[in-house]
Formats: sequence, structure tokens, C-alpha cells
Amino acid sequence: MTELMESIGKECTPLKHEFDACFTRWYSERFLHGDKTNDCEKIFKAYQACLKNVLREKGLTKMISDARPSIGSVFTDNNENIDDK
Amino acid sequence: MRLFEATHVFKHDWETVSLASWRKYPNENTPHVRHVEVLNQEVDPDTGVLRTERLIMVQQGVPVLLRKLFGGDASYVLEYSEVDPRQRTLEMQSQNMTYSNLLSVGEHIVYKPHPEQPQHTTFTQSAELKACGAMFRLATKIEDICWNRFNDNAHIGRLGLEQVLSKILAERQALTKVPQ
Repeated sequence: MTELMESIGKECTPLKHEFDACFTRWYSERFLHGDKTNDCEKIFKAYQACLKNVLREKGLTKMISDARPSIGSVFTDNNENIDDK
Repeated sequence: MRLFEATHVFKHDWETVSLASWRKYPNENTPHVRHVEVLNQEVDPDTGVLRTERLIMVQQGVPVLLRKLFGGDASYVLEYSEVDPRQRTLEMQSQNMTYSNLLSVGEHIVYKPHPEQPQHTTFTQSAELKACGAMFRLATKIEDICWNRFNDNAHIGRLGLEQVLSKILAERQALTKVPQ
């Protein structure tokens, strides 16, 4: 049996596990059946808040912003939760 | 510049394969993929397309030549994906962020139903490997080493996905066997 994957910041691991479990359930049971209701918003926000600090501490925030154009990402620093403020 | 291209047909429907793709990590076949974090995610209210941005941390023993050049073996990759549940497509584009001034690896992956057998799923993978800022011969050597590594990883990645597919099918069978 596969172990669960740890978060890049150990303190975020429980939130990541909760989000991952929520996401895969939502994806298979709702999203693929055309239901756009987001079941995981609350846990996603908590996970993001935790991750935001870790990314900043590791100095990854700018690197991520810089790499976005090369992969055609629609996300920007405005709608993400990992800005450097 | 070197191009890597591969296609594979998974004998499962697109819905199952796309789910397996999200559940791919952690995977005993790919222990070098250490962390996968969702940075951003949204569903387009008009089109129903799911957009996701993920950060992937890879840690892998690299050949001595590259370790000397890069000074380490942990690297970060940024991935952006779109899932269109109506068109039944999953597209992923990724780019390495670490050491990209020396070697740039841009990868594009598409999962869509097989044109003739819609209950099967076609997987198309292509990657551009570009060594930059080095002498031509060294750049060629770096690209060769990385192409081989990419080829190995692509193979074990497909094995890993097949394993997740088997697991999903086993879970479904177990569910249908539960007494009411």
C-alpha cells in the first residue's frame, strides 16, 4: 500500500492530506459528472495559507511567478495565495 | 535541443485514467518525486474546465557530471493543467525552475479518449530538452544524459500510472462487493 506524500513544509502535511483526499473524492464523484460545486474550498484555503509561508521561507515565490509564462498558466500573483507581502 | 516523444494507450476509460493521473504520487515506481503541492486551482464557471497549478519537487541521484555542474540533486518543477470534462481532455504543461539557466526541460502531456476505441485512453508526451550557456559539445552531452534519464522516467511513470489504475479498479470491485 502506498504511503501518503508529505508536504514540502512538514507543518502543512495534515492539511495537504485532508485536501488531497477531498480533491480526489470531489473529482471522481462530482467534477467528472458535470457538477461544479466546490466541496474542498475551505480545506484548500487552510492548506494554501500554510503553504504560502513555506514557499516564502524557501524563497520559491519569485521563481514560481517567473516560470508561469513558460507553461501558459492563467494564474497570477493577484489570484494566488503565495504573494510575498 | 533534443526532443523526446512518446505515446501510450491505457486500456481504461478517460475518466478513470485522469483520476489515476491525479492520484499518481506518491508512487513506489517514482521515489524521486518527493513532493507535489497544489498552488492554485479553479473551475471556470462558464466552460467547466478545471485549472490547476502544482509545484513538484524532484530529488534524484544525478550523474556526476551534472551534479558537479548543478551543485545538487533537488529540483523544482512548475506544472499547469487543464481538464475539460466535456471534451474529455487532460493537458499538462510543465517546466523545470531549478537550473533552468543550464538545462531547460519543457514537457507537454495530453490524455484523451482513443479516437477508435473511446473506452481506451491515449497518452501523448513530448518534451524539449535544451542545454544553455555551455559549450556546444558539453551541451550535447548534457542533453544526451538528460534525454536518457527522461526516457527511463517516462517508462517507470507509465508503470506507476498502471499501478494506480489497478488500485482504483480493486477499490471499485471492493465497493460493489460490500453487502447492502
